[in-house]
Amino acid sequence: MSLAVPAVTRHRRDPINSLMRIWGVLVYVFLFLPIAVIVAFSFNTGRVMESWTGFGFDGFTLAFNDENIIDSVKTSLIAAVGSAILATVLGTFAGIAIVRRKGRWVPFFFALVFLILVTPEIVDAIALLIWYVRIGGPFGPDNPIPVNFGLIRLWVGHSLFSAAVVTLIVRARLEGLDESLEEAAADLYAAPVRRFTQITLPLMLPAVLAAGLLSFSFSLDNTIISNFVNTAEASPWAVYVLSAVRSILRPELASMSTILLLLTLFALGLVVLVLRRSGQSGEEVAATLTGGG
Amino acid sequence: MARAVSEAQSGARRIRAPGFALALPAWVWFIFFFLIPVGFIGYYSLGYKPSIFSSIATDRLSFDRYGDAFQPLFFKVFVGTLRISMVGTLLCLLIGFPFAYWLATRVSSRWKGILLGLCIVPFWTNFLIRTIGWRIILAPEGPFSNALNDIGLGLPIQLYTRAAVQLGVVYNYLPLMIFPLFVALERLDPALREASKDLGAGRFRTFRQVTLPLASPGIIAGLLLVFIPLTGDYITPLVLGGAKGNMVGKQIASEFLTANDWAQGSALAILLIVMILATVGVMALIGLGIRSILRARRRFAMPEVMTA
Repeated sequence: MSLAVPAVTRHRRDPINSLMRIWGVLVYVFLFLPIAVIVAFSFNTGRVMESWTGFGFDGFTLAFNDENIIDSVKTSLIAAVGSAILATVLGTFAGIAIVRRKGRWVPFFFALVFLILVTPEIVDAIALLIWYVRIGGPFGPDNPIPVNFGLIRLWVGHSLFSAAVVTLIVRARLEGLDESLEEAAADLYAAPVRRFTQITLPLMLPAVLAAGLLSFSFSLDNTIISNFVNTAEASPWAVYVLSAVRSILRPELASMSTILLLLTLFALGLVVLVLRRSGQSGEEVAATLTGGG
Repeated sequence: MARAVSEAQSGARRIRAPGFALALPAWVWFIFFFLIPVGFIGYYSLGYKPSIFSSIATDRLSFDRYGDAFQPLFFKVFVGTLRISMVGTLLCLLIGFPFAYWLATRVSSRWKGILLGLCIVPFWTNFLIRTIGWRIILAPEGPFSNALNDIGLGLPIQLYTRAAVQLGVVYNYLPLMIFPLFVALERLDPALREASKDLGAGRFRTFRQVTLPLASPGIIAGLLLVFIPLTGDYITPLVLGGAKGNMVGKQIASEFLTANDWAQGSALAILLIVMILATVGVMALIGLGIRSILRARRRFAMPEVMTA
């Protein structure tokens, strides 16, 4: 790191470096332009989102008084919590198994995880639709469980990609942990369960929490799978917006999006805080946040 | 104490038995809700649509749906998709590389974390909402269009065209290119570039012979991370494309959700996967070819340098 500082000062006058800096600023403008536009247009008082008429908070009041919007956001949040819990539990155990119970099964499991990560979401979406309709049971209208079957469809559907990402994150964290701590606990006669709850779990908790929040945000963001498997009673926010795209976009949608953006940023800030406290560097945090482990 | 010991012993015995049991729930989950369902796409692609009111029948299996997929209507969509995804992936690399290089090598470590964090914010913002943001920017009667008209310029890109979809996909997938490039360039030891310079290599040569080869794993990861999901994109053409900017993903969706023809939709999905795999395979071969040619050339160039 000490090398980087003189390098920066020495390169300062270089034309190529100024060009790169301008390029960097332009890329940031590009990345934030549509987001800034959405936030700005959430204060549009007009009836159509695209045509600006005046500044006001009408969009926000309308959004909070629109039952359909509120219901869809509620569905999104319930779907996100459920699928995040599912994905975190499944992925955490799988991650532990990969690191601590190595065997010939691991490459096969990695192949499956990789396949899930690279499959275009549209393919997952139609596969799930076909499958849900075919097997019925809890995924159909005759669902025996007293939970709306649309929600069950969303929980399962959203958990798949996230569970694969959680597996990689937890695995990466455990690979970096010193196994001798667990061995020491075993030598001191700690039972496996106690060894897990008192040594392993606290050490990997930051990664698990971050992975869980990441799953939550993936689910909140999910549009394609939701659009294929959703039902009238459990239709999430993204599907509501998508149907508005086909008819007419009202400023309320931008207002609610702005609120959800703030919520996501809050979650993101929380994750960064948790990971930083656990001693990760900025770049490691970024790698975790983008699902790269 | 004695109890604790016996507990530990019985526990030790218990823990040895399961093997990969901890991963068992994930195995079951992935197989039952991913592998088998995706397999059914293949099965359904051999079926047909029996009547207006039902979506699929598989009592008679044939490859007819694949034949139908090569009709001009569908074929044009495949060609258009491949064009959009290849141009889009390349543009992401051209935009992302100088940016990632700047971020990894020219920004002080104090700012690096913050600036990288800023790149993550769009990635965490709802994909659909971000795309709608572009729709506002490109709207023909929108404020951006009006402002540009006032100063005598028009919007360079019209909504509901292929160009609008092209812009949208480059925007949406750019972060996925930046992250792996940044990681690869960040790991690159600055001393290597210094050494190359000290040995008399110019800037361009250092870039071509030191930076680029060492960054190639990141470049390959970025190309794959962008190309694969981009080719299957469905939201961007839906929001920005209209009739002119169709893509395979959108066509599959309309077979399932509008035409209610699951067999045709499934066949298109299988062909989409085949197209992605084939393109990645061909590009990998071309890449390997270029690499071996470059290596061979360098080997010939070596003695000259030595004698000079």
